[in-house]
Amino acid sequence: MSLASDAAARPSGFHVSREVQQLAYRLLAVALLCAALSFATEAFFTANNILNVLRQASLLFFLASGLTLVILTGGLDLSVGANIGLSACFAATVIKATGSPALGTLAGLATGLAIGICNGLMVAKLRIPSFIATYGMLWVLHGITYYYMAGETIHGFPPGFRQIGSGYFLGVPIPVYLMLVFLLAGTIFAQRTIWGQQIYAIGANPVAARLTGIPVDRRLILVYAFSGAMAGVASIVFLARLNSAEGDIGEAMTLPAIAAALIGGASLFGGVGSVFGTFIGALILTLVLNGMNLLAVNANWQPLVTGLIVILAVWLDMVGRRRT
Amino acid sequence: MSKSKLLAATLPAILISTAALAAGETIAVFTKNQTNPYFQTVRIGAEVAAKSLGAKVVHYIPTKPDSIPEQLSQVEDVIVKKPSAIVFVPVDYKAMVPGVEQINDAKIPIVNVTDRSAGGKFLAFVGADDYSLGLETARFLLKSIGGKGNVVILEGVKGSLTNIDRVRGFNDAIKEAKEVKLLASQPANYQRLQGLQVMENLMQSHPQIDGVLAANDAMAIGAIEALDGANRKAKVVGINGTQEAVDAIKSGKLLASGDYNGFLQGCIGTMVAIRSLRNEPTVTEVVLKPTVVNASNYQPYDSPLESRSCPSWSEAAAMASK
Repeated sequence: MSLASDAAARPSGFHVSREVQQLAYRLLAVALLCAALSFATEAFFTANNILNVLRQASLLFFLASGLTLVILTGGLDLSVGANIGLSACFAATVIKATGSPALGTLAGLATGLAIGICNGLMVAKLRIPSFIATYGMLWVLHGITYYYMAGETIHGFPPGFRQIGSGYFLGVPIPVYLMLVFLLAGTIFAQRTIWGQQIYAIGANPVAARLTGIPVDRRLILVYAFSGAMAGVASIVFLARLNSAEGDIGEAMTLPAIAAALIGGASLFGGVGSVFGTFIGALILTLVLNGMNLLAVNANWQPLVTGLIVILAVWLDMVGRRRT
Repeated sequence: MSKSKLLAATLPAILISTAALAAGETIAVFTKNQTNPYFQTVRIGAEVAAKSLGAKVVHYIPTKPDSIPEQLSQVEDVIVKKPSAIVFVPVDYKAMVPGVEQINDAKIPIVNVTDRSAGGKFLAFVGADDYSLGLETARFLLKSIGGKGNVVILEGVKGSLTNIDRVRGFNDAIKEAKEVKLLASQPANYQRLQGLQVMENLMQSHPQIDGVLAANDAMAIGAIEALDGANRKAKVVGINGTQEAVDAIKSGKLLASGDYNGFLQGCIGTMVAIRSLRNEPTVTEVVLKPTVVNASNYQPYDSPLESRSCPSWSEAAAMASK
């Protein structure tokens, strides 16, 4: 039985029991990872470090949560990293020019959203395969960003704005609150609204979705727009955390974001996955890096360890699925 | 009055006569990518030098950063276009050798800049040495923390030539300082965000960090953000002497940045190419001494690159390796 037919044969996200079981497996993986790290180093299981890990996971989660909806429809958005770069550079320029962080934030979000809408139109209206459309978009964005920045950086933003990335409220970092808000909103949207269920249905069987009268094109534009907007959100938090914008800031983030969604149980064939699963995926990837830094794993071995843990996580997931 | 008018009228003529040899050569400048500010400094150095000698510069930059196939196709393109000379930073010091050999076969004179090519024939090599850059920058930091305390290293991309040499320089400086303890040496891949996150993680397991040695400025600035966020203090050094690093040195956040002198490399590489076209004496090897940019000497670095000027040829020749 091929993977594709296997995925298509699976019902689309309506079975709570299956969902819960899947998530239980993932939470177990996180718990095991945390337990192992707690034994290995006493620095790991402290309130400070847990908040530290959550804050680090938030950037990856913003990016990956938007991507998850795209992946649910059976598509892929390769432009998110390049989107962060351009959105952050525009936001930074506007803040510098107007002195208004609010306008800058708006510019960053609008840039991200506009890029997402362009992707959606290419996929839905021009019927260009999403991999190609967003890969082309990636290069267009790189071109604009590199030309625009000419290898320079823009740095130094108002302290008020920087709170978004580095501030605390009641001892918890602001980005962690933002992450929880998007986690809740994304989960409710995908699991509890008609639109969310339609997105699952499109990924599970696009032909059937069209025949049952789901406005497929509009939903596709919506998910790509959302993915772009989330890259915009990530760019603002990035800017506020790092106090600096440069052309290639998002470059190393696209693949980890896709990996977070897949580790979280999403399938590239569409129709399977969840925003909460993606949150777990982002958490696992962040925990691996955190653990290796705390244990001072030799730098030469780190890529290998990361690769093995990613493969192991998805393989465990497969084993879990065959059982259910 | 009339005198000055006469001078004004004849000045262009005088200029033209001194530039009689300036045949308006075209110099093709190959760099690795559009993203790293360092290569921007090389390109501007090349432009400033060419402009002062009455030559033109054409840039070849892979759209996909550090792409070997793309630079190879740019080499093929340039062989067809036949510029007067080439100033060449290979995206990969081994993989680009066949490309250099094609240029050699096409009889276009070529100067190797920044990364030393593993093969091919060049008029000259102009570069800096990453090992001494790492060593001198680290020595500066260790001296500043009084030769004792705890330090961490943020490494760049594993396996890249620059990273291997810089980190070796860091480590050798640490070995010299008997009372300095190296707590961890972790990769952050030359990325700002990773520099921040790795530093955040290291602060979790090490309550006392006195010094941070970062293999480039972006990671150093990321580490400073992490320290600020945790209200902790440590002396931080980076490498590249970027404008951002100079600003951070000015504001007292960054201790120092080892400068690779990309601007000078662009200058001298282009000067060597043009001088050899004009059959003037040149040099075959210039390995620049590192400059550790810090609070006491940052002033010359604190100006836009376009407004800087290249050294005179006698100054440049004096930097050549004996």
